[in-house]
Amino acid sequence: MSNWLDDLGLEPNEPRAGPSFIERVRHAPDDDDYPIPDNFGGLDRNLLGQDGEEEETRFQQLIRHWINERQAPDILPGQEMLLGRILDHVRKQSDDVQLLRADPDSSEDEHFRIMLVQTEIERVKFVIRSYIRTRLFKIEKYARWISANAEVHEKLSKAELDHARRYARLTEYHFNQSVLQSFPPQQRSLADNMPFMPPIVPAPDKLRPVFVHARQECPPVQLPDGTSIAMEKGRISLTPYYVVEQLLLRGEVELV
Amino acid sequence: MAAATHQYGDLATQLLTDSRRSTATDTLLKYNDVLVRSIIREQRQLESLLQTAISSHPDEATPNPLLPTILLYQTAINRNKRCLLAYHAHRIDRLKDLYWSVGGALPLLLSMPSVGPSHTGALSPHEVDFLRSYNASILALRTESFSSASSLSQKDAGVLTEDVDLMAPIIKPPKDLHVLVRVVRDCGVVHTEQGAIDFRRGHRFLVRRADVEHLIVQGFLEEI
Repeated sequence: MSNWLDDLGLEPNEPRAGPSFIERVRHAPDDDDYPIPDNFGGLDRNLLGQDGEEEETRFQQLIRHWINERQAPDILPGQEMLLGRILDHVRKQSDDVQLLRADPDSSEDEHFRIMLVQTEIERVKFVIRSYIRTRLFKIEKYARWISANAEVHEKLSKAELDHARRYARLTEYHFNQSVLQSFPPQQRSLADNMPFMPPIVPAPDKLRPVFVHARQECPPVQLPDGTSIAMEKGRISLTPYYVVEQLLLRGEVELV
Repeated sequence: MAAATHQYGDLATQLLTDSRRSTATDTLLKYNDVLVRSIIREQRQLESLLQTAISSHPDEATPNPLLPTILLYQTAINRNKRCLLAYHAHRIDRLKDLYWSVGGALPLLLSMPSVGPSHTGALSPHEVDFLRSYNASILALRTESFSSASSLSQKDAGVLTEDVDLMAPIIKPPKDLHVLVRVVRDCGVVHTEQGAIDFRRGHRFLVRRADVEHLIVQGFLEEI
């Protein structure tokens, strides 16, 4: 933990890229769960948004995973626990809002705050929705690859995996019904890989370049040309996805 | 078929042009049944030519003098197949886009003038089947998901799915709690936060966005 103190001191004069979206959210005055008395968020709540490297709230974690998921070519491990917690929190807050609204004693000012909370709840839901839909898009795109590769399965929730399997079956059935069944038997396979043709089962392209922002000091990574590069904190680089894949999975970097 | 000007693979190129046009104009074109059938016919024809070319030289010790011909047939077959599959995959993607753009309201989608009822419309019967099964799969996903996610409250899994409407649009984050809408088509009495509202054509209401989101998506209401 000593290096964050150092960083704190260096921050003003150190040349570095602008704050990431996460950091801007972190310092935004209207914190996610500000006006609600119920202290559900527990330890990681930070009401006043002090400067520094305090732990991120759950919603900030979700936003980070959401942006990662949107930028990464591969499917990232699903954040089921986090989602579950946030959903529980959202529901609790909705209940609280209902209670407060029904309370005739609440003042004009309080009503205004309630409205802010409600709007924020809608916005949290938006991020959740977008996160799930982003995963869904990738899952459907790579459905056949997913059902053939067991090591991907643990990244998906059970419901997502079921859907991937159903979807893979569904597309195969559809291709069979509308095209392949009318072919001569020798041509009906859906598994052939021709030289000079893109593979028939689309798989994530891990060579795709991504912008990556180091959230902390990271071990050096090996670049494709053999040189290695140290990802110091705050640095933003453009690299092929596979180079930073492990760092991303450990949460040391984020995609931007 | 005008054999003089016809090359193997021409038809498949036409099919791809169809797909490209569909992307460029952002519309779903009618399913090109005629073209698909003639390509399949071409496939069968190619296969029999290929088989004759192979069997004309049963001696396996010396190379078949028709090898270039065989290679040509084989390439044509592979290309046609990929084009056909690409055409169908592209249509499926478009259909899924349409499905999500109306918020997963399948009956509404199938009755849309641009899509039409299955026998006269732009879809092949298999595509209608596909949409039905896809819809079922999505519904199953909606009920299943979160049930494992919310370890803290198993019993409320169903409530959680209602909390977050997966079908709502994800283009713009919500900025306001309420939205001013104009009713474009009658959609009867809807229960909202302020009580039941009878949405009649031409009227305007200020309502909570979350209550009517699906009606906006499905085109019953219009944001002002």
